[in-house]
Amino acid sequence: MDKNRVNIAIIEPSHIIFEGISNVLMKFKKDFYLYRFNDLDELKLSASKENFNVAVINPSAIQNRLADFVKLKNNCQGILWIALVYSFFDDEVLQKYDDTLSVNASPEQIFNKIDKNNPSTDKIQQEDLSEREIEVLVQMVKGLANKEIADKLNISIHTVISHRKNITDKTGIKSLSGLTIYAITKKIIPLDYNSI
Amino acid sequence: MYQTHKTYITPEMKMAELINENSKLLLLLEHFEIDFAVKDKSVKQVCEDNKTDLAVFLVFGNLYNGFFPDINEITALEDISAIIRFLKNSHRFYKHDKYPELKSFIVQLHERHNSEDILLIEKFFNDYFEEVLEHLDYEESIVFPYICRLIEDGKTALKNSFSANEYRDHHTDIETKLTDLKNLLLKHISLKNDFSLRRKFLFSLFELEFDLNVHSLIEDKILLPLVGKIEIKPSNG
Repeated sequence: MDKNRVNIAIIEPSHIIFEGISNVLMKFKKDFYLYRFNDLDELKLSASKENFNVAVINPSAIQNRLADFVKLKNNCQGILWIALVYSFFDDEVLQKYDDTLSVNASPEQIFNKIDKNNPSTDKIQQEDLSEREIEVLVQMVKGLANKEIADKLNISIHTVISHRKNITDKTGIKSLSGLTIYAITKKIIPLDYNSI
Repeated sequence: MYQTHKTYITPEMKMAELINENSKLLLLLEHFEIDFAVKDKSVKQVCEDNKTDLAVFLVFGNLYNGFFPDINEITALEDISAIIRFLKNSHRFYKHDKYPELKSFIVQLHERHNSEDILLIEKFFNDYFEEVLEHLDYEESIVFPYICRLIEDGKTALKNSFSANEYRDHHTDIETKLTDLKNLLLKHISLKNDFSLRRKFLFSLFELEFDLNVHSLIEDKILLPLVGKIEIKPSNG
């Protein structure tokens, strides 16, 4: 569930515009999760706990606090910062964002901008695990830690982690016990394996 | 995604109409100990008749309808004991309603398919629910009593006995395993026949997932911030 979830932080003083954008996004039936904040401070507080993928911010919320905004932006890697523009703002303000979104944009345009940072869209979902992934899976199920798997298969820890991520993306299963069952039902490991 | 139904609940709306629109509100009523026979009453009347805090009801009801409250709405909530009662009732629902129901579906599946896969699912489910029960016990024996004491006399002596972060991790873990279980059934385990049994099982899982989802939102995003507010108060004043 959380794999495809896109966390969107929104700072927009107008209730109508906020509701409007929520509605447009909801129609796309994606796993968008909206968080509304009143100002930059609230967002900052929350950004330390929540992983946001996109932040849609009315420039009025940052125009007098450009330094704060730039700082926050540098501290939070991986967020796509979008200005939601429906009145005139100085270029200096808008340039601080990654992208701008006009209030006149069509639903498709809005969607395309926001979905750009969706971690799962760029990957073609295919279910079969590669040989290497299966090897990593077998070691995981045996209960080996990343470092041990890396040593055993002569690959770097970084590679192990990326294989693990792919395994979870492909199977939709995250927990070790769930992956064990997956491995057994796919006859990757035998049933009498004592780790279940 | 839990944002599916779109009516933003206000005090004057008719309860029965709201239930017609989103039947999951029945779970909400049950957790508030409100009878389903709501006649022609408005939300406000239903709350008054059942001595339920209206503000809490509106925030929770709107969560079930897919609206997350803004910070002002959360901090305006006063009746924390109503929140705790609601959460305790949901616990009862998970333990004494959902758990036996899901369990019986698995047993029936097992009776009809003597397959290893079902055994594995059963094992996974048992382990999963053991974890859930452990977490619910933890809340009931540590977190809720702590909060109740806190509202009563502002004592914070027990503060170190629970950690908000650990608490949130539990929730993530519980949600992950439930998703895994669903994905195993939907994507990886193939059984022949028994459509209706499997459908009932899946529906029941989805219902549990939805309610647990709202449940952890209430605990993580509403209850904990509210408690945090009381914890800070003594030093301020």
